[in-house]
Amino acid sequence: MEVFAFSLFNGILYGMLLFMLASGLTLIFSMMGVLNFAHASFFMLGAYLAYQISAYVGFWPGLVVAPLIVGVIGAAVERWGLRPVHKFGHVAELLFTFGLAFVIEEVVQLIWGKVPMPYDIPASMNFAAFSWQGLDYSAYRLFMLVISVAIFAALFLFIAKTRIGLIIQAALTQPNIVSALGHDVPRIFMWTFGFGCALAGLAGVIGGNVLGTEPAMAITLGPIVFVVIVIGGLGSLWGALVAALFIGIVDNLAISYDLSFYPLFAVFGVERDVTGIMQDLVRLTTASIAPVLPYFLLVLILIVRPRGLFGTRDV
Amino acid sequence: MAGLARRSGIWLAAVAVVLVLPWIFSSGFAITTLNQMGVLIIFSLAYNMLLGQGGMLSFGHAVYFGLAGYSVAHVLNGIGAGTLPYVPVSLLPLVGGLVGLLFGIPIGFVSTRRAGTVFAMISLGFAEMMTALTLILIVFFNGEEGVQTDRWAGPEPFGITYGPDIQVYYLIAAWCLLATLAMYALTHTPFGRMSNAVRDNPERLQFVGYSTHRVRWLAFALSSFFAGMAGALHALNVEHVGFETVGVGQSGLVLFMVWIGGARAFIGPIFGAVVIAFLNSNLSGITEAWLLYLGILFMVTVMFAQGGLSGLILMHESIWKTDVRLFRPMVRPYALGIGATIVACLGAIGLIELIYFMSTRSTRDTGTSLYSVPVDAASLLPWLVCAGVAALGAEACRRAYRPMAASYADAIETVKAGAAR
Amino acid sequence: MTAHALELRNLRKSFGKTEIIRGVELAIEKGRIHAVIGPNGAGKSTLYNLITGLHPVTSGRILLKGADITDKPPYEIARRGLSRSFQVTNIFPRMSVLENVRCAMLWDLGYRYSFWHFVGRRRDLAERSEAIMEQTGLGSRRNVPAGLLSYSDQRALEIAITLASGADVILLDEPTAGMSRSETEQAVALIRKISQDRTLVIVEHDMGVVFDLAETISVLVYGQIVASGPPAEIRANTAVREAYLGPEAA
Repeated sequence: MEVFAFSLFNGILYGMLLFMLASGLTLIFSMMGVLNFAHASFFMLGAYLAYQISAYVGFWPGLVVAPLIVGVIGAAVERWGLRPVHKFGHVAELLFTFGLAFVIEEVVQLIWGKVPMPYDIPASMNFAAFSWQGLDYSAYRLFMLVISVAIFAALFLFIAKTRIGLIIQAALTQPNIVSALGHDVPRIFMWTFGFGCALAGLAGVIGGNVLGTEPAMAITLGPIVFVVIVIGGLGSLWGALVAALFIGIVDNLAISYDLSFYPLFAVFGVERDVTGIMQDLVRLTTASIAPVLPYFLLVLILIVRPRGLFGTRDV
Repeated sequence: MAGLARRSGIWLAAVAVVLVLPWIFSSGFAITTLNQMGVLIIFSLAYNMLLGQGGMLSFGHAVYFGLAGYSVAHVLNGIGAGTLPYVPVSLLPLVGGLVGLLFGIPIGFVSTRRAGTVFAMISLGFAEMMTALTLILIVFFNGEEGVQTDRWAGPEPFGITYGPDIQVYYLIAAWCLLATLAMYALTHTPFGRMSNAVRDNPERLQFVGYSTHRVRWLAFALSSFFAGMAGALHALNVEHVGFETVGVGQSGLVLFMVWIGGARAFIGPIFGAVVIAFLNSNLSGITEAWLLYLGILFMVTVMFAQGGLSGLILMHESIWKTDVRLFRPMVRPYALGIGATIVACLGAIGLIELIYFMSTRSTRDTGTSLYSVPVDAASLLPWLVCAGVAALGAEACRRAYRPMAASYADAIETVKAGAAR
Repeated sequence: MTAHALELRNLRKSFGKTEIIRGVELAIEKGRIHAVIGPNGAGKSTLYNLITGLHPVTSGRILLKGADITDKPPYEIARRGLSRSFQVTNIFPRMSVLENVRCAMLWDLGYRYSFWHFVGRRRDLAERSEAIMEQTGLGSRRNVPAGLLSYSDQRALEIAITLASGADVILLDEPTAGMSRSETEQAVALIRKISQDRTLVIVEHDMGVVFDLAETISVLVYGQIVASGPPAEIRANTAVREAYLGPEAA
C-alpha cells in the first residue's frame, strides 16, 4: 500500500513536471503553429543555469532568475531566429527548432562539458517531510509539487480571467484567430514563445536536481513531452494535464512494481527458460517496458483516436 | 533525344569516376570514407524522396536503415553458421531493401495520413519506440552491444570474398549507382510527379483524382526500401550494427546531409552526403566542436538558403545558360562577400575553439594551438584577436552582402528580360 | 429520362449552429452553362465545397450523372468526372506549367500510382497536354514554374488543370476574379470554347460575364435558391432584383 501511495505521489510529481513543459509547448503550438522541437532544450538550459547560479548565490535566487533568463533567450530566439523563418512555413520552423535543439546541446557541452553537473537539492530542503510505514518522503519533492501545482493554478487563472488569456483561449480552439484580432501578432508570438520557454526553464530549475543535470536530459525528455501533447490532444491544456499525469503515474507504477509478464505466457504453456524469440517476451517486466510505453500509447492513440483524448482538432 | 544523350553521358561519367576513385584515393582511410559516402548517398537520396520530393519531414527514417542493418547482420551470421540457406552476399542489399519495405508499409500507413508537423511527430515517436526496443528485445538487437557480423560468409564466387575493403567499395559503388539511377527514374514516373504535387498542394491533388494518403504512403514505402538497402550496405561495410543506427541521431544526420546539400534538387542529397561524410571523417579528429559547426551550418541554411548548398549553386544556372559574360560584374561583389564570410567564420571558429579548449582541458596547461599557431589560452591576446577578426568579418559581411545580392538580381533581371523577348 | 449532370436534393450544411446551406434544390442539365449568382455570404463557395466533397454535408443528397456522390472523398468524385477550379489560384507552384497540366490528367489516362511508366515518353500524355496548353494559350510558358507565372496566366493554368482531368462536369469558381477587361474577354472566350460537350457550372460576380455566358441562372440567397431560369427571366424577376441586385434596381 505504501509503495503504491509513494509511487502515485512520485507519478503525480513527474506528471506535473511534464505538464509544465507540455503546457508551454501547447501554448506555442496552438498560437504559432510551431512545434518547438527545442522545448526540452530550454528545460535543460534552465537546469544548467540554476546549477550555475546556485553555485554562486544559492538555490533560491536561481529559482527566479534562471527561468527569466531562459524566457529572454527564448524570446530572442523567436525574434531573430524563428521570425525570419516563418515565411517558409511550419516545416521550416520545425527544422529550425530541430537545429536549435542540436546546437543547444552542443553549446551546453561546450560550456559545461559532457559529465553530469553536481546540481543538488538545496540543503534547507534536504530532509524528510513525512514518514509513513518507515518510508521517508523528501521535503524537496513536496516543494516541487507545490510549485508545479501553483504554476498550474496560476496558468489557468491567467487564461480564464485576463484579456490576454481570452486571446489565448480563442487561439487554442481557432488557430487562425490571433491574426484576425488585429493585435501586434509578431510581438504576441515573441512573448508566447518566451513565456513557454520560461515555463520549461522553471521545470528545469526544480527538476534538474532530481532528474539529473546532464547534456542528454533534453533528448530524453523532449519526445515524451511530444507524446503528452499528442495524446492529450493538440491545443488542449486539459488534455495535456491528463496525459501528463497519466504517463507520469503509469511510468512510476510500472517501475516500482516491476511485475513480470511471464504468468501471461505461462497460461499458454511457455517455459520460463525458453530460448529463441520467446526468450525476450518471457523476460519482459513492467519496468523493462516502461520506456516504450509512452510511444506505444502514441501509436495507439493515432490509430484509434487521431485527435487525442481531449482534442478538438484532428491530427 | 538530345537531352537523353546528355543525361546518359552524365551517368557514364559517374560510372567512370566511381571506377577510378579508389585508384586516386587508395589509402585505407580514404577507402573507408568513400564506402561511408556510398552508403550515405543512398540513404540521403531515399530520405529526400520524403523530404524534398514528397514534402514529408521525418525524424525517424533511420528506423528502416537500422532494422535492415540488423536483419542483414543476422542473415550473414546465419549463413556463416550454416543455419540459413546461402544468399549471395552481393544480393544482401536487396534483402535489406525488402526488410525496409516490410516495416515501411505498415508504419507508413498509419503515419502518412497527414504531412507537416504531425507526420514529423509521429516519425519521432516511432524512432523513440524503436530505440527503446533495442534495449528490450535482446535476441534481435543485443542491447547496447549491437550485433557483430562477418561479411566473409559462404562460398566465394569468382574469388570475391568481400574480405578486403576495396571489394566492398565496388559492391557499395555498384549498388549506389543502381539505387541512384532507380530513384532518379522514379522522379520521372506518374508516382514521382504526384509525389511532387502532394508536396506542393495536397488540397488540389485530391481534385485531380488522387488520394493524398495513398501517394504519401507509396512514397514512404519506396523510400523505406532504399533506406533499408543503405542499411544493409552499412552492415556489410562496418560489420557491426548498433542501437544508434535506428535512433533519432542517425535520422538527424541524414536530415542534416539532405538539407545542407539541398532538398530541392536531385543532386542535393548526393552533394550533402559527400561533403558531410568527408568533413565528418576529416574534422571530427581535429576539433571537438565539429558537431556544433554542423548544427550551426544547418540552422544557417534553414534561415537563409532553403535550397541548401546545391541550391546556392543552382540558382546561377539560368545565368550560366543565358550568357557566361553576365558573371563578369558579379565577380568583385561575390569575392568580397565570400571573403568577408570566411573572415567572420575564422574569427568565430577561433573563439569557439578557445572556449572548448578551456572547458574541456584536463590539465592545468593552458597552451594550445589555433590554426597551427601556438597560443596561450589563459592570456587575453588570442581571445582579443579572434573576437576582433570575428567582429571585423561580421561588419564586412554586413557591407558586402547587399552589393552581392544586387549584382545577382541585376544578372537575373537581364536573364528574365532575355527570356521575355 | 436521362439523368441530370448534377442534382442537389434538399442539401443542407451547418457550421456549428449556423445553417449556411438551407435546403438547396438544383438540377443542372447536361451540356449547359449554368451560372449560380448571389450576394456575398450566400453560400456559393460552401455549395462548391459540398459538391466536390471537401466538407461533409449535414443532410440531403448530391447526384452526379445520376449516381449518388454524397460524402464521397474529393478524389473519388473527381474520378467520376467532376472537376473544379478555385477562386483563389490553387496550382502546384514549384512545378512547371507542363507538369501541372500533366498531373491533372494522369488518373484519367489510367496511370494511377504507376512507378513504372515514364511521363516524358507517353504519347497520350503528350497529346492531351499539348491540346490543353494550346486551348488555354499556355504553350509558350510550358517550362516556367507555375509559381512565377503572371496572375492571368495562373488563372488560365487554373482552368487548364481543371480541364486536363477530362471531366465532363466542371465547376468554375469566379474564373474572371481580379482580371482586367481584356483579360476577362479572353477568359470568357476560353470558357465558351471549353463548354462544347461539357457541362459547366459557374459562380461569378461579374454580371456582364454571367448574362453573356449562361444559358440558365440560379440565384442563391442566404443558402436557398430563390429563382432559376433563363437569363431574360432572371433579369425580369423582381424578387431577384430586390433580394440580390438591391431595392434601387427594382
